[in-house]
Amino acid sequence: MSDVLRLPWTEARGEVSPREYVDASLRAIAKSDAELHAFLHVNAEAGEGALPIAVKDNIVTTDMPTTCASHILRDFVSPFDATVVARLRARGASIVGKANLDEFAMGSSTEHSAFGVTRNPWDLARVAGGSSGGSAAAVAARMVPAALGSETGGSVRQPAAFCGVVGLKPTYGRISRWGLVAFASGLDQIGVVTKTTRDCAEVLGMIAGHDPYDSTSSTERVDDYAADVDAGVKGLRFGIVREAVERLEGEVRANFDAAVAVLRGGGAIVEEASVPAIGYAIAVYYIVANAEASANLSRFDGIRYGHRSERARTLDEVYFDSRGEGFGPEVKRRIMLGTFALSSGYYDAYYGRAQRVRARLRHEFAQAFQQFDYLITPTTPEPAFRIGEKADDPLSMYLSDIFTAPANLVGIPAIAVPSGFDAAGLPLSLQIMGSHFAERSLFRAAGFFERETAYWKQLPKLAGG
Amino acid sequence: MKIDRDEARRVAALAHLEFDDAGLDRMSEEMTKILTYIDQLREVEAGGFEERDATVTPLRVDEPRPSLDQELVARNAPAWRDGFFVVPKVIGGE
Repeated sequence: MSDVLRLPWTEARGEVSPREYVDASLRAIAKSDAELHAFLHVNAEAGEGALPIAVKDNIVTTDMPTTCASHILRDFVSPFDATVVARLRARGASIVGKANLDEFAMGSSTEHSAFGVTRNPWDLARVAGGSSGGSAAAVAARMVPAALGSETGGSVRQPAAFCGVVGLKPTYGRISRWGLVAFASGLDQIGVVTKTTRDCAEVLGMIAGHDPYDSTSSTERVDDYAADVDAGVKGLRFGIVREAVERLEGEVRANFDAAVAVLRGGGAIVEEASVPAIGYAIAVYYIVANAEASANLSRFDGIRYGHRSERARTLDEVYFDSRGEGFGPEVKRRIMLGTFALSSGYYDAYYGRAQRVRARLRHEFAQAFQQFDYLITPTTPEPAFRIGEKADDPLSMYLSDIFTAPANLVGIPAIAVPSGFDAAGLPLSLQIMGSHFAERSLFRAAGFFERETAYWKQLPKLAGG
Repeated sequence: MKIDRDEARRVAALAHLEFDDAGLDRMSEEMTKILTYIDQLREVEAGGFEERDATVTPLRVDEPRPSLDQELVARNAPAWRDGFFVVPKVIGGE
């Protein structure tokens, strides 16, 4: 194990034993989680390990339940470990807990968790983001040095931005999804949340690579992801996505401009790039993702596992009542939208059209990457919003993923790096997108930005110490 | 795109979800709002782009291999007897 991936309480003390490290993490969770609710399960029996880590509760584990923050899986314990979990364990990590999320990873705030919202460590009245809100809050509050999340449309990067930590969505296919409960299989990818870029690169190296149990996992070589973290950005070409940033204003705009100045200060070439269809990404996303979700979630039928309604007397009632009682409102809304988009008479007008616009978006990104090494935007159009603020307006919640969803639709890797704070002290974030399998190069750019700005050294009041 | 109560009911039946009338009205209203936003896709020129990605997911070799132990599967089953999932009687019910 490298000497990175350290929490504040170990940095000061040099070498700690694996037992001490895991115990310290468990103590930090015990201290802060009553207020944050980043965890759905904590494994007090977590064995010793070189690395205590949290895993989003839609990634299956044999030693703790996997609920997807849904009543329908309330009591589910997986008979096998996800490939990422098995790989972490094989490399000496201990899974100390399962992190909260929006039910089935559907949401941008963890307010859709059936078991209660995760609060933002920087301001307890605000959301931690979502859907991997528990993972981001746990790292931000230094309860764990690293956490796994999952992304379908920004669900690692958006909460990482809201909580002031690093969040990576790798290339589609970079990490095996065996054991990740499927939401939208053509988009889903496991991601990594850490306090620094180097930590993120280290964890990616532990879990990346082909897996015979996931045929969409790539055989592309696993790189030495941290190799260029200190290499700087001199001469590298960054494209500012014009269509994404032209309407930005206020503090988010000023923060983004300051980030561009940091990159230029390191000798990077930063110019305007154009991805004309990027503004349609959310519309495409909510058709494609929900269509796939409606098919994937049909497996929750009350027959083989999960909740079965006690009042069901016929087979149809088992289906309808179990799903009716088990799923929350957002999940039902998405299943309804997806079912509609795939239904006879609407398929081509919605699903077919969305897929064609997605293909156009893919083409536009490929064009832009002929000219640029990276494309940049803010990670989110605004900092963390208040709990309840968007609860009655699903569409405005969806729009908080406007800058992150494109990378999922196109399959490229993207990283969120802390870029400072607004006047209220809420974290802001820079998003750097790269071309397929360019994770090593992403860490290079993010590493430079992080070294120049060092925002990760600022801690929320709630951070364990 | 306007979704009315009957359309929401049709989709709910396809999706194996049940709502009461108030729930159907709320759902149709929300779906109408979201689909109206999505309808902006009609203005995008996407002719010449294929619906499907040309890349094909490789398949593994089709060889038998051990599967999950029945006991592990039974542990999560809502109703289980003699190695089978139990469901309400489908044929010849009351």
